[in-house]
Amino acid sequence: MSSSVLPPRAPLIGARELAALGVLAALVLLPAAGATPYTIRMATVIFMWAALAGAWNLLAGYAGAVDLGPVFYQGIGAFVTAAFMLKWKLPFLPSVALAGLAAMLIAAVVGTPTLRLRGAYFAIGTLALAESGKQLALAWDRLTKIPLTGGSAGISLPLTAGYLQFYYVMLALMVAVTVAALWLGRSRFGYGLRAVGENDLLAEASGVDIHRLKRRVYVGSACVTALVGGAAGYWLSYINAAEMFSMSVTLQMVVMALLGGLGTPFGPVLGAAFLTLCSEVLGTRFVYHYLIAIGVIIVLISLFMPSGLAGLLRWRRSAEGRA
Amino acid sequence: MSLLEARGVTKRFGALSALGGVDVAVDEGEILAIIGPNGAGKSTLFNVIAGLTAPSEGSVHYRGRSIAGLPVDAVCRLGIAKTFQIPQLFPRMTVGENVLVAALYGRGLGLGPATREAGEWLAFVGLADKRALAAETLSVPERRRADLARVLATGASLILLDENMAGLNAREVEAAVTLLRDVRDHGRTLIVTEHIMGAILGLADRAIVLNHGEKIAEGRPAEVMRDPAVVSAYLGEAYR
Repeated sequence: MSSSVLPPRAPLIGARELAALGVLAALVLLPAAGATPYTIRMATVIFMWAALAGAWNLLAGYAGAVDLGPVFYQGIGAFVTAAFMLKWKLPFLPSVALAGLAAMLIAAVVGTPTLRLRGAYFAIGTLALAESGKQLALAWDRLTKIPLTGGSAGISLPLTAGYLQFYYVMLALMVAVTVAALWLGRSRFGYGLRAVGENDLLAEASGVDIHRLKRRVYVGSACVTALVGGAAGYWLSYINAAEMFSMSVTLQMVVMALLGGLGTPFGPVLGAAFLTLCSEVLGTRFVYHYLIAIGVIIVLISLFMPSGLAGLLRWRRSAEGRA
Repeated sequence: MSLLEARGVTKRFGALSALGGVDVAVDEGEILAIIGPNGAGKSTLFNVIAGLTAPSEGSVHYRGRSIAGLPVDAVCRLGIAKTFQIPQLFPRMTVGENVLVAALYGRGLGLGPATREAGEWLAFVGLADKRALAAETLSVPERRRADLARVLATGASLILLDENMAGLNAREVEAAVTLLRDVRDHGRTLIVTEHIMGAILGLADRAIVLNHGEKIAEGRPAEVMRDPAVVSAYLGEAYR
């Protein structure tokens, strides 16, 4: 149609999506195909990071709000899930769902003022939020006399033999954030959000209620992050506040999303897979020096592939398109 | 009833008074020019009307409804939109998507109707063939037209154009005047600020002259420009 302002719309299921569906089918069947527990565990770790980095990417990559405190919601997810399982003896799935809900409520309250901060101020504000959350969690039992976090000693969760459960939960969460990102690329909401990310003043002057849009993504992103946190806590069977609220988790989410490709649906998946596999391969061979190698790889990718691994794929595709 | 009626609009920035009790009214279908030297308060008045800043004192009514202090996105959805003195874009979105966002959110259309609407306004400003380009690749005159298409796509009845012709050559100014008359013929009301007096004479039905945040003259553009107060404050002796 000649009057359309958009390039001819890509079919809903293009070659990239078809490939992703194929990979997804293979991943669903992987445990049944006799994969070793080691493979399953590695895959679960990748899915976990892909879901975390993907949740961060929804806000940073599309709405342009660089959140340096997402780990706050991972910590909330882990401890609320643990509380429901330990105190009310609820099964894991309802517990983690309630933790996701709790995180959404907290995010709606916290997001309303913090999302009004712009640029570096939002980053600093969220960073402070996560650090205060950690300190509060560490002091919680002592201050409130309600045992919840176990202070610096942490708490143990019931042991479970069902590691496949975590494989599928993390896979589902990774798929959910990826589908959400794909939807942002073609929906009314997504256009509004990207407009906010590119020029928030102009978006506002064009009628976009920028605070409401950003808050929705922040709440959704917090929910996924909390669900991952709840699942990770139960999987590890031991959690403590210093680790579940650790800044290094946030940094890893950021680095994976940037390496993979900020604002792209599959970037966080690529970044998570790449960095997790690099750490595993190099970490087992060069136990003492692998972090240096990882650092060099990150620097090289940032220098030579500024739009990340997904950018490399896109470049290749457009080169094919021209040929 | 006027479409827009602002009374006693005052805006102070600390000790500096940018606007001191200005009255402005504009009727539906009118083209009103606001002229005056740099620093006279034209942009501040625009920002107050568009909701980018709240007035320190005074009232602003649009279609009989008080809008002073409403956020800019709410004002836009009510029907007032403004172009920017330095044309603004969503740089990495396409030209088409830039206009689409305004149709989606300013007018509140769904994706399908908004896409058609955006296409029509892009064609209207003569940018239909640039719709698939990244907005950041546009030249300055093209950016101004894209900004105009965006404002039109919000569905605003009252459009504020802040020096929309700055930096255009004589032929481009002529084309812009024709385009803006065409906008009025589409049932829109315009308030423009401009330093190009020829454009004002050919375009505006009425002009208001501001100086130091106060209205010093109001009337038909040709008459206003002969007003001794306007000549001495703004235009200079050459216009006498």
